[in-house]
Amino acid sequence: MIYLSMTLSKILKYLFLAVVNSLIVYVVPLALTFESWFFLSLILLIGFLINFVYFTDRFQPMKWILPGMIFMLSFVVFPAVYNTYVSFTNWSTGHILTKTQAIGILEDRVFTADDQKGLEFELYILQDIDLNFYYVANLDSENILFGRAVTDDEIFTSAYATHEPSFFTNDEFSTPDGYYQLSGKEQIANSTILQELSLIIDKNTRAQLYKISVFGASTGRLTSTSQLYSYDEVSDTLFNNSTNTVCPVVIDNFECEGKEIEPGWRVYVGGDNYSKLFSNQRIRGPLGVVSKWTFQFALLSVMFSFAVGLLLSMILNKDGLKFQKIYRAVFILPYAIPAFVSALVWKGLLNPDYGVINSWLGPLYEILDVEPIKWLKTKESARSAILLVNTWLGFPYMFLITTGALQSIPKELIEAAKVDGATGIQSFWRITFPLLMVSISPLLIGSFAFNFNNFTLIFLLSGGGPPIIGSEVSVGWTDILISFTYKLAISGGRGNLFGLASSVTIIIFALVLLISAISFRYTKRLERIYGNI
Amino acid sequence: METFRFFNWIKEYGWRHLIALIFVTFAVYPILFVATNSIADFANLTNSKLIPEGLTLKHYKLLSSNPLVPYFKWLFNTYKVALIAAFFNVFLGSLAAYAFSRLQFKGRRASLLTLVIVQMFPSFLAFVAIYLLFFQISDIAPFMGLGTHFGLILVYLGGSIGFNSWLIKGFMDTISPSLDEAAKVDGATDFQIFRKIIAPLSRPILVVIFVITFIGIYSDFILAAIFLKDKNLWTVAVGINTVFIDDFNADWGVIAASSVIAATPIAVLFIFFQKQITGGLTAGSVKG
Repeated sequence: MIYLSMTLSKILKYLFLAVVNSLIVYVVPLALTFESWFFLSLILLIGFLINFVYFTDRFQPMKWILPGMIFMLSFVVFPAVYNTYVSFTNWSTGHILTKTQAIGILEDRVFTADDQKGLEFELYILQDIDLNFYYVANLDSENILFGRAVTDDEIFTSAYATHEPSFFTNDEFSTPDGYYQLSGKEQIANSTILQELSLIIDKNTRAQLYKISVFGASTGRLTSTSQLYSYDEVSDTLFNNSTNTVCPVVIDNFECEGKEIEPGWRVYVGGDNYSKLFSNQRIRGPLGVVSKWTFQFALLSVMFSFAVGLLLSMILNKDGLKFQKIYRAVFILPYAIPAFVSALVWKGLLNPDYGVINSWLGPLYEILDVEPIKWLKTKESARSAILLVNTWLGFPYMFLITTGALQSIPKELIEAAKVDGATGIQSFWRITFPLLMVSISPLLIGSFAFNFNNFTLIFLLSGGGPPIIGSEVSVGWTDILISFTYKLAISGGRGNLFGLASSVTIIIFALVLLISAISFRYTKRLERIYGNI
Repeated sequence: METFRFFNWIKEYGWRHLIALIFVTFAVYPILFVATNSIADFANLTNSKLIPEGLTLKHYKLLSSNPLVPYFKWLFNTYKVALIAAFFNVFLGSLAAYAFSRLQFKGRRASLLTLVIVQMFPSFLAFVAIYLLFFQISDIAPFMGLGTHFGLILVYLGGSIGFNSWLIKGFMDTISPSLDEAAKVDGATDFQIFRKIIAPLSRPILVVIFVITFIGIYSDFILAAIFLKDKNLWTVAVGINTVFIDDFNADWGVIAASSVIAATPIAVLFIFFQKQITGGLTAGSVKG
C-alpha cells in the first residue's frame, strides 16, 4: 500500500499551480485566435514566473510574495503604466479598434447596386415552433428555395437556402410539417421585422420580401449584394466598389470623398490630448474651474470637519462632564454609515421641492421674502451643500483623532503655562495646538488626499452638476478632477473619450505625488520644530 | 447661593452640553429621519415626518417584491464579492507579510518601499486603464472580463493587497522572533511556523484587516459602476443609486428602507471595531 503524506503547504501549492496552469492552457489558444500578442506574452511571462518559483527551491521568499505581487502588479501598477500609454492615443468612441479590426469590419460591409435589383417571384413566409421565420422562394420549378430568413448580422454565418421541390404538389404550395404559414394579415403585422430579413441564396444573392399580398402569395425580389470596401495593402487605401473611389488614410480613418468612414482605429497621437487640455479654450476653461474647485473642496472639507471635530473634542475633554460616553458614541455615527448611503439620504433631505431642509427653512424664506434655495441646482447651493455633507461625513474622524491626540498631551505643560500666567486662549494657541498638529498633520494631509479624489460623494450627491454651459465636454460646477475624468471616459454623453480622460488622470497622478511629497517634508519639519517640546 | 452655583455649572459644564447637543442633533438627525421613515406609514417625501404617525413594514415589502429592483440580489452580490475579495486579501497579504517580516532576502527593503509608494495612489485613479484592460480581456477570457464579478474581485484584490501586507507586516514584527527560532530548532518548516505560530498570534490584525477591506469594498462605487453593466450583477452601491434617483418623492419610503438595510450591518461592524479601525490607520485607506 502506498502511503500518501501531503502537508497542507503542499496541497495549497499544487492546488494553486493547478488553477494557474489550467487557466493558462485555457487562455493561450484564445489569445492566439484574437492575435493579442501583448496579453499572450504577459500570460506566458506570469505563468513561467509562477511555475519557476514554485517548482524550484531557489527563490524561497518569492513563494510567499508572488501571489500578492502578481495582483498588485497586474491591477495597480500595470494600469497606471497603461493609463500613460492610453493618454498618448486617440482612443475614444469611433476609434476603439485596432486598424486590422477596423478593416475587417469595413470589408464585411455589403451594398446592393440599383441595377441588380430585379427578378420578382412568389414568396411564402413560414414560422417554426420557436417563432423563427423561414422563407420559401418559388423562382421556377428548378429553384424552389427554402431556408431561414436572417438579419444582416447573421448573413455571413447563415447556411444557404436549399432546393425543396417537395413543397409543391401540382403547382399548389403545401405547408411542410412543423411549420406555420403566415397569412397576409399576419405578414403586415410583422412587416417591420420581415423587412429586415433575407434568405441567403449564395454569397452575393439574397431574396427579400418586396410586396405583401393579403390574397395569395406575397412577392419577393432578388437582390445581389457585393462587398462595399476592398482594402489594398500596398497603397494602404480602401476602394469603394459602389462609387468606384479610392479612400486614403487620413490619420485614424479612411476618408471617401472627404467624408470619414466609421469606424476608425486607434493611433498614437503624441501629446495631442495634453495640448487639447491646455489650448482648447472650451476645455481649458472648465478644466481650470474643476482643478480650482478640487483644491478648494478638499481643503475646505478638511478645515470644516477638523474645526468641528476639534471643537467637540475640546469641549468633551473636561473631567467630571456627564454623558461623555453617550456623546462620543453618537458623534461617530455618521462615520459608520457607508458614504454611498449617506450621499443618497442627504440628497433626499436637500431636495428643493420635497426635502426637509427647505421645509425647515420655509419660515425664514418668508421672513426674508426670498425664493427658496434650489439646493444642488445652482453653483453656490451645490457647492455649499457638498461642503455641508462632507463636514457631516468627516467630523467624526477628526473628533476621534483629536481626542486621542489631546489626551496624549501631558497636563503638566498646560499647568506650567498657567503658573507662568498664560490665559486659556494663549496656552491653547501656544502649546496645545502646535503639539496637536505634530501628531495630527500627517492625518490631515491624508484626509486632504482622500477628499481630493472623493468621487463617491461628488458623483452621488450632485453628480458634478449643475452643468457648466458652453463647455465642449460634459462638466459641472461641482465636478472634481476624478469625476470630470469619469464623465470624459464613461458617462459624459459625448462618447467615450478614453485618451483625453487618461491625460486628466495623469494630471491627478502628478498632483497626488506632489501632495505626498509635501506631506513627507512637512511632517519632517514639524517634528524638527516641535518634536522636543 | 443656589443661583451662583447654577451659573458656575453653566460656566463649567452647561455650555459644553449645549454645544454638544447641537452637534448631536446634526449628527443624528439624518440617520434617525431615515430610520423612522423606513417604517413610517406615509405616501411620499413631502409629508414624511421625523416622528411617524403609524408604523408599517410596507416599504420593506415593496423593496423585496419589485421585480424591476432586485435589491436582495444586489445585497447578495455585494456580500459575495466583498467577502471573497477580503478573504483572499487577508490570506495572500499575510503570506507576503510573513516573508517581509521573517525571511531575509535581496530586495526586501526595495519591495517594502515600493509598497509604500504604490499605496499612495488609490487603484481606482487609473479606472480608465482598468476599464480598457478588462474590455480587452473580455475577448480572450470572457469569464473574467468586463461585467463579471470575477474580474471585479481581481481588481479589488490588487487594489488593497499592498497596503494590507504592509500593515500585517508591521504587526508581525512585534511578535517576538524567539518563538519561531525555537520552532526552527525543533525542525519546523517556514510554512509550519507561519500556520502554527505567526498566523494565530496575528489574528487580531488579520480580523481588523478583513473588516476594513470588507467595508471598503462594500462601499466602493466607482469600480463597481464601471465594471458591472447587467442589473442582476450590480452591487448595492451601484443599484440603489441608479434606480432610486428618478423619483425621490414617491420612492422615499423605499429609499429609506433600502438605506437602512444597506447601512446597518456596516455601521454595526464599524462601531464594534471602531477602536482598531481608527487606531493608527489613516482616513484615506478606510472609507471608500
